[in-house]
Amino acid sequence: MNSKINFIQPEYLHSGHYACPGCGAALAVRYLARALGPDLVVVITASCWSIIAGMPPLSALKCPILHCPFPSAGAVGSGLRRGLDLRGKHSTTVLVLAGDGGTFDIGLQALSGAAQRNENFIFVCYDNEAYMNTGIQTSSATPFGAHTTTAPYPLFKKGAKKDIMHIMAAHGIPYAATATVAFPGDLEQKFRRARQIEGFRFIHILSPCPPGWGADSADTVELSRLAVETGFFPLMEIFEGGAPVLTYRPEKRVPLEQYLKLQRRFRPLELQQIETLQQGVDEEWERLLKAAGPV
Amino acid sequence: MPVELITGNQAAALAVQRAGVELVAAYPITPQTAIVETLASLHAQGELKGEFVSVESEYAALACCSGAAAAGARVFTATSSHGLAYMHEMIHWCAGARFPIVMAGVNRALGGPWCLDPDQGDSLSQRDTGWLQLYCSSAQEVFDTIIQAYALAEKIMLPCMVIYDGFYISHTYETVDIPDREEVQRFLGPPSFAAQVQPGLPANLHGLSTGETQAKLVRERHRTMKEALAVLKEINARFAAAFNRKYEPVEAYFPGKIKNVVVAAGACADTVRWCLPRLADTGLIRLKALRPFPGEEISLLLEKQKIERIVVVDRNCSTGMGGILAQELKAALYPLNSPPAVYDLILAGGIDFTPQMLQRLLAQREPHRGFAEIWGVDLL
Amino acid sequence: MNGEQILEMEKIYLNVVPSTANKTGEWRLLTPTRKEKISPCRQGCPLGGEIPAWLNAIKRNNWAEAWEIMQRKNPFPAITGQVCFHPCTAECNRRNLDEAINIPAMERALGLWRLQNCRPAAPPRRVEGKIAVVGSGPAGLSCAYYLNRAGYRVTVIERAPVAGGLLALGIPSYRLPREILQQELQLLQEEGVQFVLNCSVGRDMEISRLYDDYDQVFLATGAALSRMPSLPGVKLNGVWSALDFLQQVNLGRTLEIQNPVAVVGGGNAAIDAARSAMRIKGIDRVTVLYRRTKEEMPADPEEVAAAAAEGVQFVFNVTPRELKGEQGRLVEAILNRSHTSGEKLIIDRDTELRIYCKTLIFAVGQERDWSVFGTLHREIRLCAGGDLISGPAAVPQAIQAGRIAAEALAAQLEGKPGPDPSPPESGAVTFEELHLAAWPGLAARGRQEDPSAEAERCLGCGTCNSCGICYLFCPDVAVTPDQGRYLFDLNFCKGCGICARECPARALMMEGGW
Repeated sequence: MNSKINFIQPEYLHSGHYACPGCGAALAVRYLARALGPDLVVVITASCWSIIAGMPPLSALKCPILHCPFPSAGAVGSGLRRGLDLRGKHSTTVLVLAGDGGTFDIGLQALSGAAQRNENFIFVCYDNEAYMNTGIQTSSATPFGAHTTTAPYPLFKKGAKKDIMHIMAAHGIPYAATATVAFPGDLEQKFRRARQIEGFRFIHILSPCPPGWGADSADTVELSRLAVETGFFPLMEIFEGGAPVLTYRPEKRVPLEQYLKLQRRFRPLELQQIETLQQGVDEEWERLLKAAGPV
Repeated sequence: MPVELITGNQAAALAVQRAGVELVAAYPITPQTAIVETLASLHAQGELKGEFVSVESEYAALACCSGAAAAGARVFTATSSHGLAYMHEMIHWCAGARFPIVMAGVNRALGGPWCLDPDQGDSLSQRDTGWLQLYCSSAQEVFDTIIQAYALAEKIMLPCMVIYDGFYISHTYETVDIPDREEVQRFLGPPSFAAQVQPGLPANLHGLSTGETQAKLVRERHRTMKEALAVLKEINARFAAAFNRKYEPVEAYFPGKIKNVVVAAGACADTVRWCLPRLADTGLIRLKALRPFPGEEISLLLEKQKIERIVVVDRNCSTGMGGILAQELKAALYPLNSPPAVYDLILAGGIDFTPQMLQRLLAQREPHRGFAEIWGVDLL
Repeated sequence: MNGEQILEMEKIYLNVVPSTANKTGEWRLLTPTRKEKISPCRQGCPLGGEIPAWLNAIKRNNWAEAWEIMQRKNPFPAITGQVCFHPCTAECNRRNLDEAINIPAMERALGLWRLQNCRPAAPPRRVEGKIAVVGSGPAGLSCAYYLNRAGYRVTVIERAPVAGGLLALGIPSYRLPREILQQELQLLQEEGVQFVLNCSVGRDMEISRLYDDYDQVFLATGAALSRMPSLPGVKLNGVWSALDFLQQVNLGRTLEIQNPVAVVGGGNAAIDAARSAMRIKGIDRVTVLYRRTKEEMPADPEEVAAAAAEGVQFVFNVTPRELKGEQGRLVEAILNRSHTSGEKLIIDRDTELRIYCKTLIFAVGQERDWSVFGTLHREIRLCAGGDLISGPAAVPQAIQAGRIAAEALAAQLEGKPGPDPSPPESGAVTFEELHLAAWPGLAARGRQEDPSAEAERCLGCGTCNSCGICYLFCPDVAVTPDQGRYLFDLNFCKGCGICARECPARALMMEGGW
């Protein structure tokens, strides 16, 4: 089931933000802001959240937002953290918010640099698995088999989704975790835990994008849940680059097809491709279970 | 006041240390590397306080500086050539975001092919980004200008590049007066600009804007930059009072009545000044500030003289147009009734500028009317 | 920042206002709407009580709201909480998780809250119209409650010396403590209902007179006649009808009954009689004789178990053939073996059992009492309900009949169309239909002592149970918590539909348009 959650907590995300209906990224930020509390500053790199945050003088968050160019997030976060430290603001949490493009692709260098230096901030990748803000172009986070505007039918994304958790874990950072909006208790707990840890923290949140995935806006939470229940997106924590710790283990994994069929980007996927995907998930799952400690 | 025999890069590093810079983000590139090495060594000795961040790229260096500046910190980085080009996006962003960052730009040619000579094309490519650009002609000036740049940048909230030639200045040993830290601190004071990011105060810094908003911001930046000349003059005056050295955005050396004026920036200008006693009827205009562009000051200087010929020393070339300083200068000539001829001496590739070149140029009896483009490489 | 140079920028970036200035509700094409579906408890409830709704109010500790919801269908939860056999709990979906919600306890708690907190009761604002209610059983009291509440002047006429009908005279006090009934009656009086006791319409008063004196009349005299079998010996001393027996007990009379006691019948009246007999001083041998098997007994199994625990014996598959006496006094009953075949009862006349008994109580059915009509010769528009119409039924059915009658009478007086006798909803929300995966922190947890904690266990099953999932999963923070409930802020709701998709209780739907 789900970790216990205090439903009613102070909210730091304002209504009236510019996210599409059913946006997983908006929900993700709502939760993480609840978990991190008021002493927070957020660096936002080019992504849907550049828009969601609102056009100044409007702002969708109750904390300061510092926007930055696409590849710079990791470095701007490093500088801001150190700048705040220079001013004695050690208790303030610095959170860098990037999409999958700003994490897996164009932002990877700065991310890796900051992680390697063990900069003291939280880097959040809200992963909607393509360049959604520019209109659904393939990124290295796009899963095999998905259609995008740069892989239109009859093309589809070739090659598997980049394994960012492995990459980040290999940096030996103090904390890395995955989360989805279907498990808000788990998500908030991970952010509360992250807040207590010194050094570089990476949290990867799968964030369904209804228009980009060709999904019903009502299915955002269901998709997030199925991603976990199928084993496509396991919920885990990795401390100091060690063995992954599953924070939730499905009793019986749901067939991947149930997850895929809610998304038009996987249509028309041939049986063989579905099997390829399922096989990939199965193998990865087995590998994970072998590596993982007990739940 | 101790006088030391140091390179321009060491002078830059010492200026950074004296200025009380709180965060240095650095990445190596020839011919700038010695700056960050010196700073690292000062940091290691505990003489450079604050943060020293060895980042993974020049882009990250400036990005890191921007983050710290957003928190109100005094920051520094330095680069050259490809590093500067790689920073390009952040360079725009920092100006638009009004971060008072100071950066040393040590000129070097951009590839391909690989080339280490001090072509100014790297810094001039960043002319339109909204950064102040101050060109230095000596190691002493590098030191002094970095101190002044902080005063200027933090006063008007625009970033500033302090630029000088690779090797000629960066690696050449000169005697430099190095005031101690306390003296510099007395002049500069601690960073006084307010942090943009203040925990607890909601802000949506540099978020999505309309073209109209952007227009207002650009106008504001542009006007601020134009007014910066006056601010710089004030700062120069204060600096002269404190350290007994004086600089102007545009410096004229007119030994008596002159017919020729050489316009140059950086180390070349110092070469010209050395030549002046050996040349007849010739003066020098040294461009220290390229941004803001002191066009009016230049026209006023030229108006009083009966100048027949201007030689612009351009260690750069805007392909398809010519030397960049010459282009800029021509804009300053526009108000003149009978503008002089302009000889554009192009030293692209960062080739050596020699007195002989200047002598050969000025020795030409028949001045071209209008404009002439002379390639230095042909004069070698 | 520094100086006037960057005023424009400060204005734009630093003096921010919340994005709530942007009314994203304008984007909405579909609107979340509470569309309640019927729950198994509601479907099981003879009163059609809105159980999840009032449980939800109790969960939020809003007892006044809970009472308001409760009384829409059931004005006497303190009573039904005691006497109803609660078919509501039988199908409770929570059973599939751990244990059914303790609805009877919750109902009693709410009833007691009402008795303690709605006093002194305020009489309602009066409207024109006098109404007579004949019979003060549950149907009559319910009708009186609703009509009085609607503002009519209501007089309840009861032939017995005490009000309450079956509640006072039929149901044993161990099942319905009399102080509860007294408090309910007291409240009704405080609210303005008049009671006339010891007045038997049809005998002491012609029914037609009521139609002269009142604008409307409701007849609810019940099914208070005991059916007695035509066996040899039924007139012997020591032979009782269950109703007479219970009435005497309930009136507090000293009964001359002797050990051993046999009770014939398998319904709740039989168990009531048996358990009541056990409570009489000197009686310790009580046997229930039932013609079919234990499994076929219509009596509430809990009641049967309670009787057994108190020492009541049971003999199954026997039917009395003859009662024998000495000097006019019962001494034994002769029984035949009997069993069910198909729907028929087969009595084996060749078998003969004898049971020694000095008292025998027949609880083999009741009949409607038509005496209220007396010698009526006039044509009247009849309004009647409860057992008088349905035949013998249970307390909640009678309360339901009283409510419907009240609505019909009020409608007639106001010249409005009567209540719509819409058929009961079917297709209660099943456990599988509930979307419990969405509910963080939901875990198996048995019955709770604290009413609010117990109510929190309710899964809603088609009714909003204020679980808060809609609030939790709203990407637009457009669901506002309000004292434990959740309100949709249509200024900002973009109509994504996550709330409806995730609603564990299945109480939300997306509807087209703005």
